[in-house]
Amino acid sequence: MSDPADLRRLRLQAALDGELDAANALAFERDLAADPALAAEYRELAAVRDAVRRHVPREAAPKGLVDAVLALAAGEPAKPARAAPPPASRARGWLALAASFAGLGFAAGVGLTSLNAPDPSRAVAGSLVSDFARASVAGQPFDVASSDRHTVKPWLAGRTTVSADIVDLAAQGFPLAGGRVAIVDRAPVPTLVYRHNEHMAAVTELPLDAAGARAEGTATIDGYHVARWSDADLAFVAVSDMDAPTLAGFVAAFRAARLSHREESGKR
Amino acid sequence: MTAASPHAAERFRVLVPPLLDDAYSLAKWLCRDANDAEDIVQEAAVRALKALETTSVDRPKPWFLAIVRNAAVTWMARNRRKDLAFAGGLDDLDALAPGDGNAAADPEALLIAVQDGERLRRAMAALPPPLLEILILRDVNGLSYRDIAEAAGLPMGTVMSRLARARGALARSLKADP
Repeated sequence: MSDPADLRRLRLQAALDGELDAANALAFERDLAADPALAAEYRELAAVRDAVRRHVPREAAPKGLVDAVLALAAGEPAKPARAAPPPASRARGWLALAASFAGLGFAAGVGLTSLNAPDPSRAVAGSLVSDFARASVAGQPFDVASSDRHTVKPWLAGRTTVSADIVDLAAQGFPLAGGRVAIVDRAPVPTLVYRHNEHMAAVTELPLDAAGARAEGTATIDGYHVARWSDADLAFVAVSDMDAPTLAGFVAAFRAARLSHREESGKR
Repeated sequence: MTAASPHAAERFRVLVPPLLDDAYSLAKWLCRDANDAEDIVQEAAVRALKALETTSVDRPKPWFLAIVRNAAVTWMARNRRKDLAFAGGLDDLDALAPGDGNAAADPEALLIAVQDGERLRRAMAALPPPLLEILILRDVNGLSYRDIAEAAGLPMGTVMSRLARARGALARSLKADP
């Protein structure tokens, strides 16, 4: 990969995928403006990338599969994800393996049902989407701008009724950008703003007893993607202008970080 | 085998359900069959639950997609799909082809061809699996280069060159016959 032509192509592609740092991106933009052949190559690669994204969307996992996977964590014996019995000729060793997760589990508390929940949760999501849109348009996505959670946490603590749990996701590609206060159910609650390239995700933390807090799932409202979930102690609403797969990755990273945070506090 | 511990079950409920759409989409492209993709994801979930007894996970998406990918590779080795085999003879896939760097002789042809979703999916299905999986992880699952390297167990340079080869091959195939 030391061939200059190869390196040139790999740099072009890294630029296309948003993988260049600021200094390299600047140098690349200069080259792009000065070199029509490079610009043509860039347009071609961009056309291919955009076509894949447009014509090959991420597919939703079938409900039978989601149910079967949730049942695993509930300690129920695994059921085949689909109704038809598998052909006997196929190796199904794992089914037997999964079936041995038998026993008296607790019910799965978490489902990923679609967000056609009753009105309060819909209203909450709608108002948080408006907040997000307004904050983005105004160019002021947060009231306190800081990538340091030890700055954001006390700022929010002084202004909201929920004690914000702030996780550091910079290593996962989502640095903290700041925090702001949202009003939900007439109470001030903390909202954390994370960045991903030029996009943002705002996570609002709600007490579990707030109206409409306990909704699960994803939705698209006014062009923004919304993900909702709840853990043992708090409910969360994430609003973002990231694409849906990236938001799903963000939510997974956020939940994983909170979980290990809680596990560590538990040990102390 | 005993039931999953409450500890592993809690981790699992937090980490895995949000990633099932990504897992299913990846598995379906790798094995080319919707039913088999469900089996693969379910097997991956069983493996993930077991791993969570002892592992805590910082980067859930590449972690789980790596398990899905490995489950798919095992599955294909076991289920006679030698045509979709991943192993062997990859060296020639990791160097860029001479034609990869040349911009379109006929850019119009490409711009028209990419409007046709069916043709694009056919061209993707014709890619060698090791190139296709990188393309899916990037453009369908939306992983960064670093996360793809983790999910596919490859050096970042290999990820970058395979992605370039995949997109170059797609462009050429779309420009060729309609």
